Amino acid sequence: MQVQTWPQIATKQASVMASDWVLFSIVGLAVALLVWGLILFAIARWRFQPGQAEPPQFRNNYPLEITWTVIPLVLVMILFIYTYQAETRVDATSPHPDVTVHVNGYRWGWTFSYAGGPVIGGAATSPVGGTSAEQPPELVLPLGKTIRLEMTSSDVNHSFWVPDFLFKRDAIPGQTTAFDIEPNKLGSFVGRCAQFCGLDHALMTFTVRVIKPGEFERWRKGVQHS
Amino acid sequence: MTAIIQPGASSAPRHDLLSWITTTDHKRIGILYLVTSLLYFAVAGALSLAIRTQLARPDNHLVSAHTFAQLFTLHGTAMIFLFVAPFALGLANFLIPLQIGAPDMAFPRLNATSYWMFLFGGLVVFAGAATNEGAAAAGWSSYAPLSEIKISTGLGQDLWIGGVFLVSVATILTSINFVTTVFIYRAPGMTMWRIPIFTWEMIATSLLVFMAFPSLAADLILLFVDRRLGGHAFDPAYGGNAVLWQHLFWFFGHPEVYVMILPYFGVISEIIPVFSRKPVFGYTGIVLSAFAIAGLSMGVWAHHMFTTGAVNNPFFSFVSYLIAVPTGVKFFNWIATMWRGRISLQTPMLFSIGFLLNFLLGGVSGVMVASPPIDYQAHESYFAVAHFHYVLGGGSLFAIFAALFFWWPKMFGVKLNETLGTWCFWLLFIGFNVTFLPMHLMGIDGMPRRVFTYASTGPLPALNLIATAGSYVMLVGVVLFAWNVVVSGLRHEPVGDDPWDANSLEWATSSPPPEHNFTKLPPIRSERPVWDLRHAAATQEHG
Repeated sequence: MQVQTWPQIATKQASVMASDWVLFSIVGLAVALLVWGLILFAIARWRFQPGQAEPPQFRNNYPLEITWTVIPLVLVMILFIYTYQAETRVDATSPHPDVTVHVNGYRWGWTFSYAGGPVIGGAATSPVGGTSAEQPPELVLPLGKTIRLEMTSSDVNHSFWVPDFLFKRDAIPGQTTAFDIEPNKLGSFVGRCAQFCGLDHALMTFTVRVIKPGEFERWRKGVQHS
Repeated sequence: MTAIIQPGASSAPRHDLLSWITTTDHKRIGILYLVTSLLYFAVAGALSLAIRTQLARPDNHLVSAHTFAQLFTLHGTAMIFLFVAPFALGLANFLIPLQIGAPDMAFPRLNATSYWMFLFGGLVVFAGAATNEGAAAAGWSSYAPLSEIKISTGLGQDLWIGGVFLVSVATILTSINFVTTVFIYRAPGMTMWRIPIFTWEMIATSLLVFMAFPSLAADLILLFVDRRLGGHAFDPAYGGNAVLWQHLFWFFGHPEVYVMILPYFGVISEIIPVFSRKPVFGYTGIVLSAFAIAGLSMGVWAHHMFTTGAVNNPFFSFVSYLIAVPTGVKFFNWIATMWRGRISLQTPMLFSIGFLLNFLLGGVSGVMVASPPIDYQAHESYFAVAHFHYVLGGGSLFAIFAALFFWWPKMFGVKLNETLGTWCFWLLFIGFNVTFLPMHLMGIDGMPRRVFTYASTGPLPALNLIATAGSYVMLVGVVLFAWNVVVSGLRHEPVGDDPWDANSLEWATSSPPPEHNFTKLPPIRSERPVWDLRHAAATQEHG
């Protein structure tokens, strides 16, 4: 398995979230640079010098104060609208997903039950995923299809996280929540548990392998008949 | 001029151990709070160094997985419940009566009770380490069902519940004391719109405590009933709900963030005007924004739960964004206070500027994680770890050092050494950023929090090593502070009432103040009575 420096944007939903990351990083850093600049400018410009007279004792400027309340308000409204639209696209679920997989997290491993078979499962082994002698459980998905993933847990809270999908969803006992993803990159991706669940939490990895749809059907039949 | 009659003022104050144990003097209780919370900080800091040393390289075997879980559980619990929040309570205990011209708190014995409950609450949490199965190991947020008896079988978890419960009740009691004192015990002329901003921020903090801490107490009781009395509040197999813990916990937990930051907004609002030689800009705006933050923070708890799939994400996202507005107002007010001032960079001001620079980044990453599509990656990752350490470490911790340097002369009658203080600042500032800046990248790269090891390939080993190196630079800074305390104490060069040419009423009395605080009060005609006094004297001299 190849390890990338930066998460690959490996689903359709992930590209939406990636643009959210980019927009917020740019706006956030721009605001931060402006404010940092004002602070450092003030320090450099008005440093204390001995013998100086008392500075002007002004304490209010209502138009200015209203301005710096309203402008951030407008800015966060715009960010909220953008984030709302992005979330609506990311959280959208299809009425007819192509593949449905029920995911169960447990201490410390994962079971992936495909609707109509097969059931893949296994315990976690290493913090890396895939490079250890014992392979972690593998979730095999077809490229370009809508996948419905249903999350639950049979003991404590876990969280199904694939950093390359820029996405995680908690697996919580007593509830099942579902989301859709559409993988758009071939390859193997590391998955991890993101919610602390006890001793081997750090080792509770899995692998997501995205293959072509034809290959996926052959794999599915092969696993079921073996 | 108002004179306060002091019964028994002739008898010199006693300084033996018994007098400290039995004290009901708000200044002594305040100092006890501060010293205790700093000792808990030293322990929690040592734990964090153990964590960073384990994570210096992947597949490290310095500590076991179980020890590691205890380390981060106790580190988080101690930093939050036993240091950052109670330090503010200690500071408020010392300062509020002095700032409003009162002889003591409204309920001195209740005040002492709160302190002792806080001290023993912390000891009870740490006592878990002496039990067979060790201390609590389910994280400072102790999510059920992980913290239930089926999984966390040890007594350490019960001691954690008991200890945190004591601390939370103590916090509620002492907040009642603050609010009552400010509302009832203000000196003549000290109207509400003249009380110092630190005192205002403590009122907002106290109101948050009233609303938030009962939820924590209820959560802890439910968990204890589940564990030891056969309850099933969080067990879905018996009709319980695993998400309920999170709702009750974060209904407390997010306001708690503001309990740990509003007092320090107050500290900064006191220090920046003094070292800019100007009145605080937009007093009303700063006060109102504190209450706006407090109010809004009651409606954001489920932004810690975006990935549960069980809450209305857009609502909690929207309210979280709104908090950025009053926080921004405060920032602009602080900058406007410095604007065209006469800025002297003594240690309290250096740490205050460090607070501004660091906290700003915590605010920016806060706006990012308030967006669910970003939080889906950042949640429970090192990005979140970086975010809240920029708020509580880069923010609150720097304000704590600012407060120590600023009010040390008032508390102990001696100044801390400025040269050592400047070194301490730079070591902490550089060390902090070297430790926590790389954590943003670790999180984006897929490193979950609360892991004792990580992938040995890719960028994580290098980023972790940098972070660990930074944490040792911070250690040097903290040791230098302790050294400064020793050196300055030994030299013992007494300072006057008002070594900083400050503004608020605590600087109108001696350093340290007498038992009942004031022998006489200056006239209070603005929020800067001591500044007024100084300038009235100057006008008379030259007039």
